[in-house]
Amino acid sequence: MRKQKKFGFFICLILIFGILIIFNSQVAIAAAKQSVTATKVKNAPAGYDDPAWQKATAVNVHFEGKEIFTGKKTSVTTKAVYTDQEIYFLFTWDDATKSVTKGAWLYDGQNWSHQKGNEDRISLLFEINRINKFATKGCAVVCHVPEGAANAKDGKFGTKSAAEKGDLWHWKAARSDPAGFADDTWVTVISEKKGGRKGDAGKGGDTKNMTEDKSMPKYMLAPGNKLAKNDILLASHISEIKDYSVFKAGDMLTYRMPKMPEGSRADIKAVTRYANGSWTVMLYRQLDTSHDDDVAFNPRKKYNFAMALFDDSGDEDSYDSEVLSLQFGR
Amino acid sequence: MNRATGISHVTLIEYLSLERIVKRLSVLTVPADALTWHRFFGALLLSLLVLLFLSGAFMAFYYSPALGSAYDSVDYALFSLPFGGIIKGVHHYGWNLFLIVLGAHLVRAFVVSAYKPPRQIIWVSGVMILLFVPLFIITGDLLPWDQKGFWSTQVRLSIIGSIPFIGDLLVRLFQGGPLTGIVTLTRFYVLHILFLPGLLAFLILIHFHFIKNNGLSYSFSSDNYSTKTVRFFPVIFNRWLILFMGVTLVLGLISWYWPAPLGDPADPTDSSYVPRPEWWVLFLNQLVTIFTGSFSVVGSVIIPGGLAGLLIVLPFIDSSPERHPVRRKRVMLCAAIIAIAILALSIMGYLEHFSTPHV
Repeated sequence: MRKQKKFGFFICLILIFGILIIFNSQVAIAAAKQSVTATKVKNAPAGYDDPAWQKATAVNVHFEGKEIFTGKKTSVTTKAVYTDQEIYFLFTWDDATKSVTKGAWLYDGQNWSHQKGNEDRISLLFEINRINKFATKGCAVVCHVPEGAANAKDGKFGTKSAAEKGDLWHWKAARSDPAGFADDTWVTVISEKKGGRKGDAGKGGDTKNMTEDKSMPKYMLAPGNKLAKNDILLASHISEIKDYSVFKAGDMLTYRMPKMPEGSRADIKAVTRYANGSWTVMLYRQLDTSHDDDVAFNPRKKYNFAMALFDDSGDEDSYDSEVLSLQFGR
Repeated sequence: MNRATGISHVTLIEYLSLERIVKRLSVLTVPADALTWHRFFGALLLSLLVLLFLSGAFMAFYYSPALGSAYDSVDYALFSLPFGGIIKGVHHYGWNLFLIVLGAHLVRAFVVSAYKPPRQIIWVSGVMILLFVPLFIITGDLLPWDQKGFWSTQVRLSIIGSIPFIGDLLVRLFQGGPLTGIVTLTRFYVLHILFLPGLLAFLILIHFHFIKNNGLSYSFSSDNYSTKTVRFFPVIFNRWLILFMGVTLVLGLISWYWPAPLGDPADPTDSSYVPRPEWWVLFLNQLVTIFTGSFSVVGSVIIPGGLAGLLIVLPFIDSSPERHPVRRKRVMLCAAIIAIAILALSIMGYLEHFSTPHV
């Protein structure tokens, strides 16, 4: 009888502990925001078709258009997995047109002119150091439109103090993807004259292919090199054009030439595909790059982030997500 | 005296003039069943309390009670400091468990008539401790300055403010101004780490003082353990130490696997955030939901206050000499009705706040 009582007592105690944990874990996930959970995988996915992605939970992240996209909505299917060393994101979204023009040069037989068209992009903003109210307001707190300005074109992107720092991952179909990267930048305090966007330490970004008078391209593909993805000319594969007579009507040349990134700017690698009217973009990075201009991911912690989608459009014309939560599964 | 050197060795105990206390402790005897499985809750409470004090003291080393840095200091301690997450988790799960065990301790004391003469003051001091604990939770919740703590505090202050005559005064005392801000955070911090622990320690001393003088509670155990005695030190002390280490280990493991939650930083401009009530206030929250408008005072003050008052005066209104629950049908029936009502209200609260999507 005494043994039975003891047994019953300890069963009760275990139940109490169980309820305690379940209840507290429920309180912990009682957030209103959409949450992306990165699934732990043993082997890193080799690409966007890797079976590892089947283990990840897909989240349909909603985006609302602003400026020229005002009133429109879209969505991006988002997945995330992580290993002991790296984190991987997989984004898939419908886009009827693959936009990689970014003002490319077109020769009409007599003159060079810029083709109309921008590029498709997706960007993610994480906090490196806490950005005041980013957790509740998202990107709205880093987009500063001066009082009296007519639209976001007059605004600047940045934080209100130097202590607030954001990590901006910026995948660009024309300016970073051909190099196999997403542009790794960061956001800091806004100044009177300039916004707060900075490139990470190292080299990267893109360079303009034009002559001094801006009337024609200056560079062409160097002999022995190949054009990169989407027929984009990489800044590392060029030679100066000596004889413009080699071009014929209808020839095109890249205007914004991606540079091969180096240092902290080269942290985020990209593997992508455009097929059947949709983009599939896999971005991956070390969990902790040890760089001051990057967010360091600790799998025990939750992170707020927000995303923006650009459909053949400039910075001001985008689809923006609400603030999201990134957490790490076990 | 060292024979070789001729120097007399003074022990630390002698140096600190603690010989009399040590001597008294070494000869102190207590009933053999003072720390057995059926008197487990009191010892467990003491273990949890010591853990809460220790973990709280460690967290205080890194906590910064200022609006701009409170959240970041907790975040740092939780995720960047070695074992910081475990210490925070032990504190977090510790008080949850403390409340549960305190409730169980009270139920056991009620069932075995531990409130009856000569133990009335022990019961009253125990109930005072029970009523005192929510103050720790209310003040502690705000300290991380996260959304949950901030908005829960707003809700609690609005409930306190609805108390007739003294509500506004209490809110002003807690808040220190018209808004929940830096003064509120400072007051809550000082209350949480200084005044409340001091008062709790005082109440516990009273509780122990009367236990020592008035004896342990009645036991249904048939082997009549209480006639035997054992030495407090080392027998009982060692048993307690094993329990303490066991609880520390279990809570440490839980904290390692399920880290203590930390929400988003508080945003006082984000009024869309609706905090979910803690499990221990689900029934109180439901009372506030049921009694609205001019009747709100019934749910926020009269019923909870009446229950607390009933618990305190129980030893004086139940004067029958009967101790066995079977022979105390009227009291047991009343208690069962109250317990069922609390459980039903809690389930209603759970269904309302946890089983539906939270926006």
